[in-house]
Amino acid sequence: MTIVIPQSFWLYFTFFALLLIDGLWCMLATRNLVRVLIGIEILMKSVTFFLIVAGYLSGRMALAQALVITVIVIEVVVVVVVAGVILGFFRKRDSLDVRNTRDMKG
Amino acid sequence: MSDLLLLVPFVAVVLLNLLPKRARAAALWVAFGVLALEVAAAFVDRFACVNYGWLASLDRVLGIHLATDGLSELLMLCAGIVGMAALLVARKTLDETNEQFYFANLVLVALVGINGIAMVRDLFSLYVFVEVTAVATFILITASRKAEGLEDHAFEGAWKYILLSIIASVLMLTSIGFFLLSTGDITLDAAKGALASQQPLAWVAMALFLCGLFIKGALVPFHGWLADAYTAAPAPVSVFMAGVVTKASGIFALLRIASSTLDGAAPGREILLVVGAVTIVVGAFLALTQKNMKRMLAYSSVSQMGYIVLALGGDLRLGIVAAGLHFFNHAISKSQLFTNAAAIERELGTLDMDEMGGIGSRMPVTAGTTAVASLSIAGLPPLAGFWSKLLIVLALWNAKEYGFAAVAILASLVTLAYFLSLQRRVFFGKREERWAKVRETAPGLLVPAVFLALITIALGIGFPFALKILLGGGA
Repeated sequence: MTIVIPQSFWLYFTFFALLLIDGLWCMLATRNLVRVLIGIEILMKSVTFFLIVAGYLSGRMALAQALVITVIVIEVVVVVVVAGVILGFFRKRDSLDVRNTRDMKG
Repeated sequence: MSDLLLLVPFVAVVLLNLLPKRARAAALWVAFGVLALEVAAAFVDRFACVNYGWLASLDRVLGIHLATDGLSELLMLCAGIVGMAALLVARKTLDETNEQFYFANLVLVALVGINGIAMVRDLFSLYVFVEVTAVATFILITASRKAEGLEDHAFEGAWKYILLSIIASVLMLTSIGFFLLSTGDITLDAAKGALASQQPLAWVAMALFLCGLFIKGALVPFHGWLADAYTAAPAPVSVFMAGVVTKASGIFALLRIASSTLDGAAPGREILLVVGAVTIVVGAFLALTQKNMKRMLAYSSVSQMGYIVLALGGDLRLGIVAAGLHFFNHAISKSQLFTNAAAIERELGTLDMDEMGGIGSRMPVTAGTTAVASLSIAGLPPLAGFWSKLLIVLALWNAKEYGFAAVAILASLVTLAYFLSLQRRVFFGKREERWAKVRETAPGLLVPAVFLALITIALGIGFPFALKILLGGGA
């Protein structure tokens, strides 16, 4: 099955790319671990959006719906675990600074 | 029936948490039993063809298609053996019952993910199970408390793993989106069709997915997280991670994708060859410069993963068998080396190889088993590692990739060099005064090491027999 990609795809794609770059920028530009977590969230939102677009343009909305719901569930689990890891770090070091995580070398 | 492999560990986790608190000490043994079942399941031939009543309907409810074949049995076998070794190490190195309880639970959760990876037939479920394994591992790395006074890098190691895992997830999901756009489906068969018909979008998608898996498998240039994560993790966790987690979520997924979609697809093969060769060389030279024992073993892992990927770039039929065999050998030997590292850390309180020396006469069993595993990974006959490396070189030779075959052989020498350096710095040489009272470690840590070393030796000697099974079932 071959799918003809309509022009409107590039509109969606641009939005996806902007959201993706936004998330990456959020992860890279900050020194606060919680902000990095927010960047991770934005990144995941951008790919979720892309999956919806892909399902819509290929006419497989039902499949895309199943995928997106699963991705949302996984995302919640990941965010909870990562937040827990950050909390553990905060309790130990009393700081949320990314620069405290650069001790290992070699 | 194959659904049972997902249900049994999951039900075990639920039941363990329903137990009263004082029964928690049994958790390790429950997990041990589940893993023993896993090993037994790997030996039941044609597991997938059997359908057991109502469980078959789970296929439709979950909407994922599962099936086992020779490759899945290989991964299940590795996961079972390495998991049992990790649990035995945990019994001796994690002091509190609670920590052992959490470790057993998380190993079972990771096992759900690993079994899923072994059996999936579409890209999205593959992503889901890779993520399940990864999340369990995030917690495993950070969960254990270190003794007072020791430097604690657990957060840092876990954080690097988390960040790169998220990037890998984003790459894989984007790739799934592109596959959906180009074929309207996400099964491996659909992906194979799209790649064969030379759709450019499908190639973009495949490249993204491969990049995601390269991050998960820590192949150069995405290897940065691995050494930190392995070094920072508690001893039993590094045994488990090095043995199965990284391999299942990165390398096994690559094996699966290469064997079911990259049939005669030239650009894909070239990517695998180049990445594999670069990984072998960079990993080996990084290992050569390390002072920390676990860190050296971690970079050695990176280098050996390169061999597996390189084999996939060779003649496909032989390459899959060679890669599968090296996968198994390396899982066994590397988890054994990490077990030995755990024994040394427990007895000496350090992993800095410059501080050690001459403890071979005090810890003869540890020294002997370390030598077996190192020589096997370096590829010395008649140990198991020799045969898998030979097959890898043959697979490359058959595909007329003589240059890459030469890289594989020459890098073996570097492998031998860093393992000999490890052996000399840790076990041989002059013994310092402070190690004069060191004793051989507890039997609980020797049992897994000796058992894994025996597997390496037995597979090396009985290799022709094993190859027959592999060629029949694996390819």
